[in-house]
Amino acid sequence: MKQQVKIRYQFALVLLLGLVCGLISYPQAVKFLPPVFAVLDQLKVNKGLDLQGGIHLEYRADVSQIESAKVSDALIAAEAVIERRVNAFGVGEPLVQLSRSGTEERIIVELPGIKNVEQAKKMIKETPFLEFREEADGVTDEDGQKQLDMLNTSSKERAIATLEQLKGGQDFATLAKEFSADPGSKENGGDLDFAKSGLFVPEFDKVLFDTALQAGQVYPDLVETQFGYHIIKKIEERGEGDELEVRGAHILLRKYSVNDFPKLAFKATGLSGKNLKNAFVDFQSQGMGSPQIALQFDDEGTNLFAEITKRSIGKSVAIFLDDEIISQPTVQNEIVGGQAVITGDFTMQEANDLVKRLNEGALPVPITLVAQQSVDASLGESALKESLFAGVVGLGAVAIYMVFYYRLLGVIAVLALLLYTAMLLTLFKLSVFTPFAITVTLSGIAGFILSIGIAVDANVLIFERTREELSYGKGVIRSLKEGFRRAWPSIRDGHVSTLITTVILIGLGTGFVKGFAVILSLGVLLSLFTAVVLVRITTTFIAGDWMERHPWLLASPKKRLDE
Amino acid sequence: MLQIIQKRKYAYAFSLLLIVASVVCVSLWGLKLGIDFKGGTLMEVRFALDPAPEVRAIEGSLSEVALQSLTLQPTDNRGALLRYLASDETANEQVLTKLKTLDPNITLLRTDFIGGSVSEQIKKNAFTGIALSILGILLYIAWAFRRVSGVVTSWDYGAGAVIALAHDIIIVIGLFALLGKFFDIEVGVPFIAALLTILGYSVNDTIVVYDRVRENLMRSSHKEDFENIVNRSLNETIGRSVNTSMTVIITLIAIVLFGGESIRYFGVALLTGVVFGTYSSIYIASALLVSRYKMKTDN
Repeated sequence: MKQQVKIRYQFALVLLLGLVCGLISYPQAVKFLPPVFAVLDQLKVNKGLDLQGGIHLEYRADVSQIESAKVSDALIAAEAVIERRVNAFGVGEPLVQLSRSGTEERIIVELPGIKNVEQAKKMIKETPFLEFREEADGVTDEDGQKQLDMLNTSSKERAIATLEQLKGGQDFATLAKEFSADPGSKENGGDLDFAKSGLFVPEFDKVLFDTALQAGQVYPDLVETQFGYHIIKKIEERGEGDELEVRGAHILLRKYSVNDFPKLAFKATGLSGKNLKNAFVDFQSQGMGSPQIALQFDDEGTNLFAEITKRSIGKSVAIFLDDEIISQPTVQNEIVGGQAVITGDFTMQEANDLVKRLNEGALPVPITLVAQQSVDASLGESALKESLFAGVVGLGAVAIYMVFYYRLLGVIAVLALLLYTAMLLTLFKLSVFTPFAITVTLSGIAGFILSIGIAVDANVLIFERTREELSYGKGVIRSLKEGFRRAWPSIRDGHVSTLITTVILIGLGTGFVKGFAVILSLGVLLSLFTAVVLVRITTTFIAGDWMERHPWLLASPKKRLDE
Repeated sequence: MLQIIQKRKYAYAFSLLLIVASVVCVSLWGLKLGIDFKGGTLMEVRFALDPAPEVRAIEGSLSEVALQSLTLQPTDNRGALLRYLASDETANEQVLTKLKTLDPNITLLRTDFIGGSVSEQIKKNAFTGIALSILGILLYIAWAFRRVSGVVTSWDYGAGAVIALAHDIIIVIGLFALLGKFFDIEVGVPFIAALLTILGYSVNDTIVVYDRVRENLMRSSHKEDFENIVNRSLNETIGRSVNTSMTVIITLIAIVLFGGESIRYFGVALLTGVVFGTYSSIYIASALLVSRYKMKTDN
């Protein structure tokens, strides 16, 4: 009697567990009770990036230049800087974490729901480089001059090559369209239309009017002017004497000067973003105008800025951000307070972002991207749908198979399987509130589907054993008991071997494998509980001598197998 | 009763044939390694232009970005799959810029980029993982069957299970060498995960049979010979071996058919492994016990 009371309590607990987990995993069931639904509906499964779209980045942090005692501090500082930078995106729940892989220090960044991947990567990695430069007065530093020379040499080489092509019989107009750097004539095949002498620069003019160049001919040499290297063709001419007009055409390969590279027109002053004490957004004319960025330099910066402004009165100082001029104010007088403003053409958003990034400064360790996975939200959504559908099909097919084979016991196993699914979902949803939040990825769903098939294995072993015991003529209740007892060693050993490999998989720990292995091991453990403990309580509760009268319920074999 | 053990020569011959075929496939063609192992980039894009630019047009636009071993494959819905070796991230940016000039409204569906150091480590982990799993299972079975009585020791049980497992994964690897050669199926980290899962799961059926052998050995009279005991155990458990595998095979077929492109071949690897795992549990693993018994008693 006591035993029966105990089993009733246990069965009631199973039902309660089923109710709670069922509601948590499928709140839509109580939509008719809006307050309850509202609470339950807030519990969400933490979906991985491959299901909701987003980007996973792994950076290697180069700590070789850092004293070993300070490495962990530097990494934590880098983590904090990156965290602030990604928070600026305003995407839901970005993740930044340090990880160690072999001897490498890694920083992992995950941004769910991000749209512009390349911009995100830029924002994470790059510190804005702010630099103040003063007018170079035509004096270019050595590096700059070298760069210019290189560009011009290659221009000249290209021009020579083009001239060769013309001599080889290629069409002038086609080449002009392709290579000419003169925007005015390029599209017309280099055609400059009729013009009188004196309109062009002297070197050019001379070729058209003072040489023996005939209409339809190309001048055999390159002509160098202030603009670059010209290949000149005389198309036709009309008129006589002062009225002589020539219709010429040219292909221009330009020469570059410092003016083409604003950076070269200015020289470094040594004043840069590292001298910043603080930056903030300010407004021109009492909060009404467009936003501008106010800078406060540190002591060294203040001195430098004073010197620069002193020697640049009446001239301009250029402010470069990431090698591009954003502002080029003219200095009116020496500024000694160490304050400056940048009045670029900023929107409020840009100004805010820039200030944030300027204040954060540089990353304390250089980082290199070593792995990236990004998934568009649309792709994630369809992957989620497909894999869930596969799960439903798998669950349904396994259920049919079990009921077909094991009749009443099969029904119980299927109910246990449903409860298992509900418990797993509940676990996912509640884990969010613990430090061990489970993220469900596509591979995790694959692990879950596989675990459905594995979950009923224990039941198959138990039921087969029960049938066997029944065939020896033992009663239903005793056969069930024996079935559970004797199937246990195989079930245990089988689960342990599966867990050995899943634990190894978790240890190997890359994204796909980990997502799969974590959920598979959880599933294997949890299903052990539902398939053994819960099914045992349920079968014990309903089993009785009444079953003997309906042998088809258990599909009891009529005789022993080996006879 | 089925005479399974008695006819083990046929099973051995069949398995040997499969293994030789697998080894030949692997040594002829090798596995087609994906970016997980080689490093590089896999990029999937969808064009907004209808019709999508032709493969040659895409190749043309990318010719300026010197990409190593670029392969391009059109996919459904005006999409394209690009694979190339890239040593750093700048190549990825350049590719995207070029593609945008082709179609400004292009959607980047996914990018997987694996740097060289990461792929090296994945490779190392894969081997470590497989070796550790096999060792772990061997040790566990040897331990779980430590009380087994008779000529065949618990280590022999462990060895029998491990040989059957090696058989299973060699066949799966052979199949993927074939799929790689003729259908361009690449293997990556998911493949390794599948192999390890096969190791852990396929041994279950073997354990069920071994467990029954152990039970029958304890109960049997000394007159019944080892071969018969093993064969009887097999016959008693074959129903559950098939049924436990069937439920898993059903779910794996669901993954292969409906689970979508990204996990399809993961499912195929698991499915092959489980099918051959069931076969080897029934026809190979137990037969090996008998062969081992004969070896020991003949001396």
